[in-house]
Amino acid sequence: MNASTAVLEVHDLARTYGEGTGSVAALAGVSAAFARGTFTAVMGPSGSGKSTFLTCAAGLEPPTSGRVVLDGADITDWDEERRTRLRRERIGFVFQGFHLMPYLTAAQNVGLPLRLAGRRPDRVRVSALLERVGLGERAGHLPAAMSGGQRQRVAIARALVADPAVILADEPTGALDSATAASVLELLRGCVDELGQTVVMVTHDPVAAAYADTVLFLVDGRVAGRMDRPTATAVAGQLARLDEWVA
Amino acid sequence: MGMVWLAVRSLRHRYAAFTATFVAVLLGTALMGSFATLVETAAGPVPAQDAESLTVMGAVVGGWGAVIVLFSVASTVGLTVGQRDVEIGLLRTIGATPRQARRLVRAETLVVCLVAAVLGALLAAAGGRALLAALVAGDVVSDVEFGGGAVSLPLTVVGILQVCLVAAAIAGRRATRGPASVTAADDLAGARPIRRWRVALALVLIAYGLGMGVVTVTVSGNSDDPYDAMATSGSSSLLVGVGLALLGPLLLPVGARLARPFLGGGDGAGYLAGYTASRRAHLLGGVLGPVVVLTSGAVGTLMLVGADGRTLVGEPPEGTETINLLNNVVVGMISLFAAIMVINSFAAVVAHRRAELRQLWLVGGTRAQIERSVVAEAALVAAVGVVLGLVGSLATIIPFGLARGEGVLPDGQLWLPPLLVAGVAALTMLTARTLVRRATRSAAILIP
Repeated sequence: MNASTAVLEVHDLARTYGEGTGSVAALAGVSAAFARGTFTAVMGPSGSGKSTFLTCAAGLEPPTSGRVVLDGADITDWDEERRTRLRRERIGFVFQGFHLMPYLTAAQNVGLPLRLAGRRPDRVRVSALLERVGLGERAGHLPAAMSGGQRQRVAIARALVADPAVILADEPTGALDSATAASVLELLRGCVDELGQTVVMVTHDPVAAAYADTVLFLVDGRVAGRMDRPTATAVAGQLARLDEWVA
Repeated sequence: MGMVWLAVRSLRHRYAAFTATFVAVLLGTALMGSFATLVETAAGPVPAQDAESLTVMGAVVGGWGAVIVLFSVASTVGLTVGQRDVEIGLLRTIGATPRQARRLVRAETLVVCLVAAVLGALLAAAGGRALLAALVAGDVVSDVEFGGGAVSLPLTVVGILQVCLVAAAIAGRRATRGPASVTAADDLAGARPIRRWRVALALVLIAYGLGMGVVTVTVSGNSDDPYDAMATSGSSSLLVGVGLALLGPLLLPVGARLARPFLGGGDGAGYLAGYTASRRAHLLGGVLGPVVVLTSGAVGTLMLVGADGRTLVGEPPEGTETINLLNNVVVGMISLFAAIMVINSFAAVVAHRRAELRQLWLVGGTRAQIERSVVAEAALVAAVGVVLGLVGSLATIIPFGLARGEGVLPDGQLWLPPLLVAGVAALTMLTARTLVRRATRSAAILIP
């Protein structure tokens, strides 16, 4: 992968929780680069550091050591205020639990990151995005009136609204049935293929990972391999043998 | 002003969560406003002596009221905000700066407080008139004309809103500590260490209360004015009570350990309650605090008023009625607000623990057992709270008794403390029972 086209790079990323003998190294030196317009799945068993990786890459938590470079800017040493501004301009988030504001309509939820940035959301853009995720008619509905799949589509539209450099997705299909999950993954795939977006998705589902261009495997906080053009079967096989790789 | 936009929508969605804040501000404004009109009346064409009584009343109730409203609004807003850690974490994740998150909390609080304060001021306009009429009827002041409202009520509203802003600032700071995250704050971490400033403040308050006790016995008790002793010892029970309440998370486990031999029997409900109280004292400390302050303040002040009535010799000096009225009003205010805080903090504790109660149910606890264990917790909190409260009340009772020649044990009204203790315990346990029943009887306990 050519580093010059990388939109997100992490260098030797480490994150330790706690101190002394009780400390846990969630990340123990991860380096990776994610090129613009690619879809990467980050996989690994529980406790492999997947979520910590995402948290550090998003600038939510500073790493213990290592660097995070987003869109050419080294954000590692930025303060909370500056990282927050960067997040709302350059990073879109999709979570397992959807995390929509229960008291805002679909359209208001989609426009929220712009409001936080002090801008008035453009109605046309918001409804175009809702149209794109297949919810054109539901703009005025509250999350409570929508299914899980619909809520996740709203969350994806929200992630796209600021036209971010990268979309970070944390188990986006973890709370969905397989048919709904497939349509959400199609949607993410479409964001990459048609909008040229960059998606980094943490998942433990080989079927979900098969939608990505590349799979990055993490074990015990380290990169334990990668696979291009993955299939569900190949990924599942690889996951089953991950412990051999590290040993 | 994106945050105000958000705050208004958030409030519409969850107005029930702000009920406690609303009630606290409404009642606080109504009470303080009523007494504030007295000060304004005093500024009118009123005999000098009456003007002084009216001004003192307004100032004392206003001062105490501000402190009490600050405490209760800070506590209620803090709890409402604390329960939304996931939501505020999400806002911060998708791009709200800590300052914006604090602005959201501030805007929500201000809207609620503004509505409540304005309504409270309207109540106070009627309440002030009624209060003055009662004072005139009780011969506390001569037949003076009511002349308040136009200035004092708007000022009260502005003052209350200032207090609300301080409370919101405290809650907002707490909500934006640490990195943004959409996972609920980890409860497995167990007891959080108690902050050092909290211990320091508690010790200062207790030391000050005890010091005033010594002053009462050695200096002011020998003064010619019988009310000098009251001035130095009257607030000691409250100060020591607040001090002990601040130490609640440290003292509750000690109480739980002492009570453990009595909790063993039954079907495990007491067993669970004992460990909850000792290992998750930071949760229940929010309930313990108001119980301590309520007991300490009410017992201490009411016993003080009783002892004063018994030991004053000869013609009561000028202002006796005013002083007694003030003591009773302040006790009433503290009791009212402490009761609101007990109910509100227990509601927060139960809401916070739905998942935990569900786990108890999953491993085979019956609903009745779960309910009993929460009520047993409440009983434990009430027991520790009233013991600490009674200890705190001694800071007023003993020095004043000594100064007035009654000795360490008051000569009368010994029925009062048990009565108040029973009332406080009943309030705590009934609140717990009602709330936990609502939680377990709703379908929500069966669904995560």
